[in-house]
Amino acid sequence: MNPRSISFRLVAWYASWLAGIFLLLSAVLYLDLRHFLENDVRQAQSRRAHQIANALLTHVKQTGEANVASQTKDWYEPEINDRFIRITRADGTIFYASGQPNDGSFNPAEVPDFTPSSQLEYSRKLKLSGGKTLLLVGLNVQSPGNPSYLVEFGELLDPVETMLKHLFLQLAFGLPLAVFIIAGGGFLLLRRALTPVEQITRAAERITQHNLSERLPVARTGDELARLSVSLNRMIARLDEAFQNSKRFVADASHDLRTPLTILRGELESFAEDARLTAELRERAASMLEEAVHLSKIVEQLFTLSRLDAGEARTEWTRFDLAELAKITADQMNLLAEDKGISISCETSQTMPVEGDRVRLKQVVVNLLDNAIKYTPEKGAIQLRVHGVNGHAILEVKDNGIGIPSEALPHVFERFYRVDKTRSGESESAGLGLSIVKSICAAHGAEVEAESNVGSGSCFRIKLTAAKH
Amino acid sequence: MRIQLVEDEKKVADIIERGLKAERFAVDVYHDGQSAWEAADIYNFDLIILDLMLPKLSGTEVLEKIRRKNQQVPILILTARDGMADKIKNFETGADDYLTKPFAFAELLLRVKALLRRGPVNRASVVRVADLEIDRLSQNVKRGGKKIELTAKEYSLLEYLATNPGRVFSRTMIIEHVWDQSFQGLTNIVDVYVRHLREKVDDAFSVKLLRTVRGVGYSLNDEVQT
Repeated sequence: MNPRSISFRLVAWYASWLAGIFLLLSAVLYLDLRHFLENDVRQAQSRRAHQIANALLTHVKQTGEANVASQTKDWYEPEINDRFIRITRADGTIFYASGQPNDGSFNPAEVPDFTPSSQLEYSRKLKLSGGKTLLLVGLNVQSPGNPSYLVEFGELLDPVETMLKHLFLQLAFGLPLAVFIIAGGGFLLLRRALTPVEQITRAAERITQHNLSERLPVARTGDELARLSVSLNRMIARLDEAFQNSKRFVADASHDLRTPLTILRGELESFAEDARLTAELRERAASMLEEAVHLSKIVEQLFTLSRLDAGEARTEWTRFDLAELAKITADQMNLLAEDKGISISCETSQTMPVEGDRVRLKQVVVNLLDNAIKYTPEKGAIQLRVHGVNGHAILEVKDNGIGIPSEALPHVFERFYRVDKTRSGESESAGLGLSIVKSICAAHGAEVEAESNVGSGSCFRIKLTAAKH
Repeated sequence: MRIQLVEDEKKVADIIERGLKAERFAVDVYHDGQSAWEAADIYNFDLIILDLMLPKLSGTEVLEKIRRKNQQVPILILTARDGMADKIKNFETGADDYLTKPFAFAELLLRVKALLRRGPVNRASVVRVADLEIDRLSQNVKRGGKKIELTAKEYSLLEYLATNPGRVFSRTMIIEHVWDQSFQGLTNIVDVYVRHLREKVDDAFSVKLLRTVRGVGYSLNDEVQT
């Protein structure tokens, strides 16, 4: 279970709040009930103590202590009712104390002797053996003309404690169970509600610029998710339209640029070969023709770039050996290098199978080698390497040429970028070769990087995913 | 030889028409798809040069209509759009060749001739241009009876130029034929190879066979240069 998923976070959040509120409520309920029940017992004892004080002890002079004792015993029968009664004189001597209760629920001898208190009435809890608690209420009786006494009434808190214990157990088990059931139910409910999100995510992953006509599934729930998928679908439709528009634009621009170029070239070509013109005029027409051809080449390269951007390279993927491709290309370009006295050394592993558009990837090798040859002075050396590293095929073109200044290095793949406009040997190129390399690599999901030091040479590296054997 | 040229751009049509007429072809020009189809339905052309973007009826539709009548006439498609999908679709419909604008007229002419010649091609094993002999079977090249050692690429280049002596080959054509389309942007490689070829084939002789036509390309020529 993903701890960052919406359902997990939501359920965890409300389950902990619920548990907190339940805990608080239970605590309040438990404490309040305990207080109420104990108070009830206490008030009953107090009432009885007052009764003895008012009805019997106010007349102790007339009736005598023995009468009070027997009256008390008659009225309350503490042994039968499991109560504790004790009347103590002001000097601390006991004149009446109830005996052992009949059911033996406690031993009155365990109750400590009275301790004088300045309070008129007080209560305390006594812990007795067997884990029992005796609630004891003491009343100082002082009626005018009579000696003072302390009347003590006590009763076991057993029934109250049993009840509270039962309640505690119910809460301790019931509460986590309730939270668990609610959280579990909530989780299932949320998961059901979020299933469309999962479907939308999966469908969205599938949609790329090449299948923009596909749409996301719309949950027929009429809820926020249905609205979201409808909105996303509208967005995809707008993207689709934008892509179509740009494709149409390229197609139209391509037509509108190529037609005048065709006319220009056709006319200049006929001039250049027209025997009726003077040699000088033909020479000039030929010079213009060269420029028109150059212009056509730039237009071609621009269309190549926009076709690559539109995802053309995907259409012709095959599996082939990159090492072999590098060797063949180096061989075909060798004369071009030899012409400048440059040597190309080719160092490749046995085989390096990759998947891609062979023609386009060959173009990458051609453009990189061409670039290296251009910027390497005579008698230089170019190294072409193909090797495999961790499931990747690496193609490296390294020269010992003039290098690229570090401030220009990040821009070398930009369209029409030139490191230095005054560099020689560049009149033929438009500064699109490396952008084409980059676009082809991007279409193959390959990384391309350049390293360079001025004066000591450059190194271009392509990192492709190797095909599985 | 009667060629139907279907091209809505008047200037382009004009250039092609003039060029083809100079080569002694009869040329009928049509500027829209509808009239082109009607004419193709009536007349028997030897070759049709068809632009794809046409008013009234598109080039592809014309192509389909002509092929539905099962005509064997060779059709060369001209287009200002490229892209593999288009190309494949048109070849499937029955186009015989495909040329993307802008093109060198020399290239159009070569393709037209190749299409018209389709049946009996010069398959002679030895091609002769002046005192140059190219043996296609053994790939031996001799000039004035003396053997010339060529590399494989130099040989393909020379053999390609020799298929049509006197005709100019553009660098793009040479690249596509001798190398492959990956080398498209790299026309200077042709210049380097031609120079090496020249050193071996021409340097020792007073008559130079390899001729440069500035702005256009190269040709193998036995006529005396002007």
